[in-house]
Amino acid sequence: MRFNLIIISVLLILSSTISTANPGGKGDDVRSRDCAGSCHSAPSTNGQSSAILALEFPGQVYAGLLFDMTSSVGNVEVSSNNMVGYNILINSDGAKDLPSNDGWEIITDPNGGKNNYVEIVDSFSSFNTVNRTWTLRAPSSVGTYQMYLAVQHGTPEGEVSMTGISSAFSVEVIEVPEDLPRLSPDWQPPNSRQIGESTTIKLETLFAETVSVELKNGGQITNLQVTNGEFTIPASVNEGVVEWRVIMEGEGPTQTSPWFRLTASAPGWEIDETNLYIQATALLLLCLGLVLSFRTPTVSYLKEYSDNPLSQQSDSNGPPIPAGGIPEGWTEEQWAYYGQEHLDSLEGGTNQ
Amino acid sequence: MISSSTFHVITTELTVGMFALSGVAFLLCLIRKGPISRESVAHWALLGGLIATPFAIISGINSTPSEGITDPLLANKVLLSMTSTGIAIGVLINRKLGADVDVKHSSLGLLSVGLMLATAGIGGEYSRGETLLFLVPKETVFLFPLWASIMIAVLGIIMISKSAIQHRV
Repeated sequence: MRFNLIIISVLLILSSTISTANPGGKGDDVRSRDCAGSCHSAPSTNGQSSAILALEFPGQVYAGLLFDMTSSVGNVEVSSNNMVGYNILINSDGAKDLPSNDGWEIITDPNGGKNNYVEIVDSFSSFNTVNRTWTLRAPSSVGTYQMYLAVQHGTPEGEVSMTGISSAFSVEVIEVPEDLPRLSPDWQPPNSRQIGESTTIKLETLFAETVSVELKNGGQITNLQVTNGEFTIPASVNEGVVEWRVIMEGEGPTQTSPWFRLTASAPGWEIDETNLYIQATALLLLCLGLVLSFRTPTVSYLKEYSDNPLSQQSDSNGPPIPAGGIPEGWTEEQWAYYGQEHLDSLEGGTNQ
Repeated sequence: MISSSTFHVITTELTVGMFALSGVAFLLCLIRKGPISRESVAHWALLGGLIATPFAIISGINSTPSEGITDPLLANKVLLSMTSTGIAIGVLINRKLGADVDVKHSSLGLLSVGLMLATAGIGGEYSRGETLLFLVPKETVFLFPLWASIMIAVLGIIMISKSAIQHRV
């Protein structure tokens, strides 16, 4: 019996795969590569992804200003849920690699959040390249910075998790010209709203004499009226993303902001939490009361109960001691409590 | 320091591990097989699991990316874990008061363990979209009106009080 158990245990252990942790993803978050890798067990046990990874920056990136960056992932076969985790990093060391360590700020990630790690579901394949746009604010210090795109994903066979990281992409952050019309460094665009709600946005600009806003919905671009730096994006009737950008004119060269994305989603699921917690407490009390009421009526010997379960029947001698005496290693107290069970098991074994 | 997510992993593993151990021991009690220490193991592991449960709940709430309960799975986790906790406390009190570890007692212990493991299963469904428990309610929450919850709570308190009085007599 014991040998069979060992064999079954060994077979169960051997049948497990190396790493298929979190096949449904881990969720968007601010993560370093080491953390992202650990979501699929230790990074050392991952396979090497065949993905071709690239980051694309605009021609000029001004210190402290917003810009769009495009990440592309191609030549990759993934698991049946078509999910790939994208990780924007500043080094490949697995430590202190968050973009914020270099002063980058993620304003809008491809999923409408503010995370450097996002999970993208799309048609990933060896013949397809999937592009996603990130809106970032450049560091306030000029200089040459490096950026990496790391990915993690499953495989069609679902056995080993795959990770990969691009080579370094250099980006030159330059000084902002003095009179460049631009958005205020403290201003941030909204990323989300609910279906059916129009969105009024107040712009804060520097050195801009005239400001206009373009709205892109589908393939169509329309101009929105801007009054005292405020404009309104009409309500959305469906879930989806509209993009808009600001065109600023002044003494300096005309500037166009990146396309900002505003995601409309259905109102989230809601519940009356007070009611829920009261019901949960009520269920606790009810179950406690029910279980207590199920208790076998207390008899005198039970009141002498202590931590030792053997003491419950200390005044009982149990079944008669067999001719061969009590089993080896047993005390009389154990015999009093478990003797009958032992005899029953022996009887059962004999019958078999 | 560690993040609340990591602390939640630690506390849930403690809770689930303790409850699972307790469940195995209660199962042995139910079928009256195994070592004589099974009763002590069942109850002490259940107590350990109960102690770890509040830490798991609090760290779980803190590690949720959204604020508050925004998913039916989370609401069902709250209800199931509190139900399990109620049964577990009752089982431990009964044992402390001297109840025999009979079929009824062992079954209640197993029920408590089962509910807590179902709660953990819902956690897997929430965080990874997968669970072995295919029947966990994913979109349905049985929420009583407030007056019904209060009545249930009062009923529970009456039953607890009655049980305490019977015990003294």
